[in-house]
Amino acid sequence: MEQAPAITEQVALVEERLRTLNKVMTTKAAIAQTPKELVWTLNKAKLYRYIPVVPKEERHGIPLLLVFALMNRPYILDLRPGHSFVEFLVSRGYDVYLLDWGVPGPEDKHLKFDDYALDYIPRAVRKVKAISGSEEFSMLGWCIGAILTTIYASMLPNHGLRNLILLTAPLDFGNKQDITFARWTDEKYFDVEKVLAAFGNMPGEMIDYGAKALKPVENYIGNYIKLWDNLDNPQIVEAWHAMNTWVTDNIPLAGGAFRQLIVDLYQNNRLMKGEMIIRGQRVDLGQLRANLLTVIAGADHITPPCQSEAILSKVASRDKEIFHVPGGHIGIMAGSGAHKLTWPHIDGWLGARSSPKLDGRN
Amino acid sequence: MGEGQAGGSKPFDPLESFRGLRDVYLDAMAKAMVEAVNTESYAKASGAMLDATLTLSAPMREGLEKSMPPVLEQLSLPSRQDIVALAERFTNLEMRLDDMDAKLDRILGLSHPAQPGVPAETAAEPVAASAPAVKARPARTRPAKPVAARTPAAAAKPVARRRKAAPSRQPGRKGAK
Repeated sequence: MEQAPAITEQVALVEERLRTLNKVMTTKAAIAQTPKELVWTLNKAKLYRYIPVVPKEERHGIPLLLVFALMNRPYILDLRPGHSFVEFLVSRGYDVYLLDWGVPGPEDKHLKFDDYALDYIPRAVRKVKAISGSEEFSMLGWCIGAILTTIYASMLPNHGLRNLILLTAPLDFGNKQDITFARWTDEKYFDVEKVLAAFGNMPGEMIDYGAKALKPVENYIGNYIKLWDNLDNPQIVEAWHAMNTWVTDNIPLAGGAFRQLIVDLYQNNRLMKGEMIIRGQRVDLGQLRANLLTVIAGADHITPPCQSEAILSKVASRDKEIFHVPGGHIGIMAGSGAHKLTWPHIDGWLGARSSPKLDGRN
Repeated sequence: MGEGQAGGSKPFDPLESFRGLRDVYLDAMAKAMVEAVNTESYAKASGAMLDATLTLSAPMREGLEKSMPPVLEQLSLPSRQDIVALAERFTNLEMRLDDMDAKLDRILGLSHPAQPGVPAETAAEPVAASAPAVKARPARTRPAKPVAARTPAAAAKPVARRRKAAPSRQPGRKGAK
């Protein structure tokens, strides 16, 4: 007699789980909720300014421009309320701007690092300066955004960049043994021209496959098992839903930039060797003079730590620091521990260098 | 769900007894797979697979690329090339507008120099200060910018430099080939 209610209860439980699963797998989470305003556009790129919540007199004087990778959506920086790096920064009194590269179309297949670093970023910077009224600014580049900001900072060192923060920056491609992507994209096996002839831009689905194939079991099986095991836990389900919304929102990478990423960087390590040519000029990392913080994820399988360490010995910055954080490529900024470790460290470092006065500046 | 747990009776999970075994198996498989994908043989195999896929699909793709434009022309419809060319022209126009915006900023800055040490603000500012971070406002293009928002040096540098460094900087253009 006691079995019947127990079975009914179990059926209801399974039904509830399936409903949750269906919702999570078929809908998009509410992401990027921090209030913002569009202040500049160019082609697909958009510059947003986040609405300050701290009175003007209590804010940091130096604005901060966030530059994310080209082939993922930047709202990972503003994933969901209470778990948003942007929201954290705004609440800490920063004047925060986000450069969203948008989705390149077939007409953008020739866009290169040259265009992003020397056309788009300087124009966005000009707008940041005009709006903030500050001649100096800080920049945070993440992943390929870190490559672009490094190129920009090296080629235009007198444009007022005071502080540069690089997150999981793939800059040094010399250690091919430890970089799985470098192995896969070796010219012996990977014909970049053939791929671009077929697609124009590198499709987001292929980039997504590449990233997931680095850890196939975790990404294709473990991730869903984790969700199934925790379908009764609304907090975990909400976090999973938001992250899955971001992970599955793939965008292509402009063909010209993809070619440079593979040929110049993965295959020939030209940036670190001082041989990378951007718009006819050699990129000299020795010209980078901004205060520099490099954040390295200890368990990063996309950008192994060896890729981000050598930059410090190449730049002319006198104020430079490496910060090692346990975690993965995305987890260090969007994981459950980010607000306890990575964000406060960045805030501490940047806050001490964001006064309008010239303290701490090289 | 939660009520059952709150009442102290843990709901029956048919997978529970297998969970430990499953996790051990998955951990071992995950390590093995990470090692497998980080080998020359995997790189070679995946490269060969991609190459074969692209080679096999090329004739169909090229055939479509050649046959579609005349068909579209017959139907008085623009081809992809037409739209791409149009989009490039739009981007070029946007670039020129941005250049003009920078020049205007500079001119306004010179004619109405901001007070030193007083940072400029935008039209967005009043909306901002006390707004709790609850809901994103719909983005709008080109918010009105008061003259005071401009500073002299904020304007022309990127444009002047770009012109020197990039004699032909049409968006998306020929340079990549």
